[in-house]
Amino acid sequence: MKENLDKHKLSNGMMLLGERMEAVESVAFSFILPAGASVMPAGCCGAANVISDWIFRGAGERDNRQLGDALDGLGLQRSGGVDSAHISVGAALEASNLSSAIDLYGDIILRAKLEDEQFAPARQLAIEGVKGLDDDPRHKVMLKLREQFYPEPLGRSTAGEIADLEALTPETTKKIIAERFNPAKTIFSVAGKYDFDAVVRQVEKIFGAKSGSRPRSLKMGAAGGRYKHIPNDGAQVHIGLMTPTVLLKDKNYYNARIAVAVLSGGMGARLFTEVREKRGLCYAVGAQYHAMKEAAGITCYAGTMPDKAQQTFDVIVAEFNRLADGISEEELQRAKVGLKSSLIMQSESSSSRAGSIAGDYYMLGRVRALDKIKAEIDKTSVDSVLTFLRENGFKDFTVVTIGPKEVKVG
Amino acid sequence: MEFKSHKLTNGLTVIGEVNKNAKSTAVGFFVKTGSRDEDLKINGVSHFLEHMVFKGTERLSPFAVNEAFDKTGAQYNAFTSEEGTVFYAAVLPEYLAEITRLWIEMMRPALRTEDFNIEKQVIKEEIAMYKDQPSFDVMDRCRAIYFAGHPCGHSVLGSEESIDAMTAEQMRGYFSQRYAPNNMVAVFAGNFEWEQIRDMVEAGCGDWKNQDVKRTITDTRGARGKQRLDKANLTREHICLMSPAVSAQSDKRFAAALLSMIVGDDVGSRFFWELVDKAIVETASFDFAPMDGTGAYCTYVRCSGENTAKAMKIVASIFVDLTKTGVTEDELTKAKNKVLSAFVIKNEIPMGRLVDLGFNWTYLGQYRPVEDDVKAVKAVTVAEINALLKEYPLGEFAQFSLGPAQNG
Repeated sequence: MKENLDKHKLSNGMMLLGERMEAVESVAFSFILPAGASVMPAGCCGAANVISDWIFRGAGERDNRQLGDALDGLGLQRSGGVDSAHISVGAALEASNLSSAIDLYGDIILRAKLEDEQFAPARQLAIEGVKGLDDDPRHKVMLKLREQFYPEPLGRSTAGEIADLEALTPETTKKIIAERFNPAKTIFSVAGKYDFDAVVRQVEKIFGAKSGSRPRSLKMGAAGGRYKHIPNDGAQVHIGLMTPTVLLKDKNYYNARIAVAVLSGGMGARLFTEVREKRGLCYAVGAQYHAMKEAAGITCYAGTMPDKAQQTFDVIVAEFNRLADGISEEELQRAKVGLKSSLIMQSESSSSRAGSIAGDYYMLGRVRALDKIKAEIDKTSVDSVLTFLRENGFKDFTVVTIGPKEVKVG
Repeated sequence: MEFKSHKLTNGLTVIGEVNKNAKSTAVGFFVKTGSRDEDLKINGVSHFLEHMVFKGTERLSPFAVNEAFDKTGAQYNAFTSEEGTVFYAAVLPEYLAEITRLWIEMMRPALRTEDFNIEKQVIKEEIAMYKDQPSFDVMDRCRAIYFAGHPCGHSVLGSEESIDAMTAEQMRGYFSQRYAPNNMVAVFAGNFEWEQIRDMVEAGCGDWKNQDVKRTITDTRGARGKQRLDKANLTREHICLMSPAVSAQSDKRFAAALLSMIVGDDVGSRFFWELVDKAIVETASFDFAPMDGTGAYCTYVRCSGENTAKAMKIVASIFVDLTKTGVTEDELTKAKNKVLSAFVIKNEIPMGRLVDLGFNWTYLGQYRPVEDDVKAVKAVTVAEINALLKEYPLGEFAQFSLGPAQNG
């Protein structure tokens, strides 16, 4: 596969990454700002959500409405959000509008108006978002699971805490923005149809003069307990479980990905087969690799009616445990083809590539070429995966359930 | 892009749009059958049948089907609506022939009773899952009020009772009536060799028997009415409104799509500025749902109990204002930009293109190149949208709300 990667570092440390895609007329871009949930000051859980809304409420010469109209006028398909490490803001659009869009995002990131009167609705929407989660147990269980699994502050809810949000002031929030919107640690990525020289010149002009100090490093606390149940008189028990595994930079990363694919890569994989096809216990069941820079885990979700919750949980855990007993050559091949195919198919989408190259750079300090990833996947074998599993077996589960009934976690 | 089509003597149509630059290919079978085509006694059978297709054939066990897909790395699934059942896969070009053969074989499923009984449990879990998603549940319930007596009001999933009562024999009967070649289209998009695919479909599907397949198509302006249901475990108010709109065949569908963007896109719309930006509600959307011979607009609002009355007053005033004074040039220009960029981005990917190709063929019986739809969107005028607002006033709706128990 031909690689089309572009890379340029500004003198203030901001990293610009690009991936040219010949078959598309669109372009997608993203600014990855080091202001995620885990780096918010103590007592400000949820501030990142308020910030990611507030900065769009007027910037540069434009007020709230004018800015919204200008973004819409370019036909932007906005993307972004808050994760543990970052606030990301970006969009996908027709390639000819890229330069105008970057100008607007320069204003949003560097010259947001941050007016007091716009703070209240931004904060209120963040609070509404947290409250809305109570009516969305499937989503909530995974947020609570990460909170329980990762050491504080990594697992902090990306939605926020109501008490913290209610106490948050415009002054505190402005201070956080001033400290955290740090070009030295910001990544800009673009994928699709673009002229990289022109992009570099424009981003340098907007962001080049602003420098920032290095962000503080995280102080890790303990993870939560092993099991948490949240009572809810709904139709199903929503089960989330998570077990530690290796980081993206680890030599065993691809062995771990293959192991998860054997477990849950497709409908022929073990979880779907054992839990749904053979026993009819669930509609939704699946496991995924979930990584931060500092820690990683395998997450698993299943939703099932209360009388089947215990059996569902037991079957899932048994499947995790059984992995190290052996996997077949066919299972390995299916896992490999699945991972490689999805890699190639994702490479057809500009948004997906802009996200991936920025993620790689943050996690690894470099962008992995697609050919290299394919080669690494090809290198894995039944032996390598089993050796990995025997040395780093999936055990020590953290479990969260939401629903009318608890499960016994053994 | 090159369009190809071929009709077998039994009525099955194969269509394809070839894009040699694509890295993948998407393949789908679009079956024109959904909950609107069901007898209420077997409500949910279309969707249940979609699941059963994956349970294999006389030759293939359920596990063999799943493994056959997985070993190609295909991204595959299916969905059922009130109107249609769609089976699809996106694959790398080297696996297309294998996956096409597999789908062809699966379109004549075994429908074994033992698989039916296990899958029944999965369907009931799916019904339970959606009960825990009030944003879905409220729309389903509102739909039933709005389409009272009209087949588009039939639930896609069915109820626990209708699923419990259903037999494999009833499903086989439904299958033999609805999965007729003249009620299906095989669709391809992306990087593939047309002749190879056409011949493969001809060879694999040529002996399927055609049937006299009917669908009752009547337009409806829907019923009105307002209902609310308490659910003790909810904390927010979930509100759904439905009102009449043009059908999937109407030339006015582009105007209706642009109107829905102006009223209820997640940013920059009237709902956004009046309700979300001011933090009166957490979320508010307005969608145009074009259907076979009829259509509806669907509003969804989620907010706190104390803001509900205020929010609904604002929604009503937005609707009144639109009917009275219409949309502006500026709003229409922005809506066009958003609709067009979303459309172009979606159609860059074979899987996105497949859906439009299949639905255009199912509803209109025609191929529409991307450029034709782009032109049609660009041509819509403010006057056309305003006339549409007079013809289909937004203020006359059915309403369903779900929320926590109310005091007093």
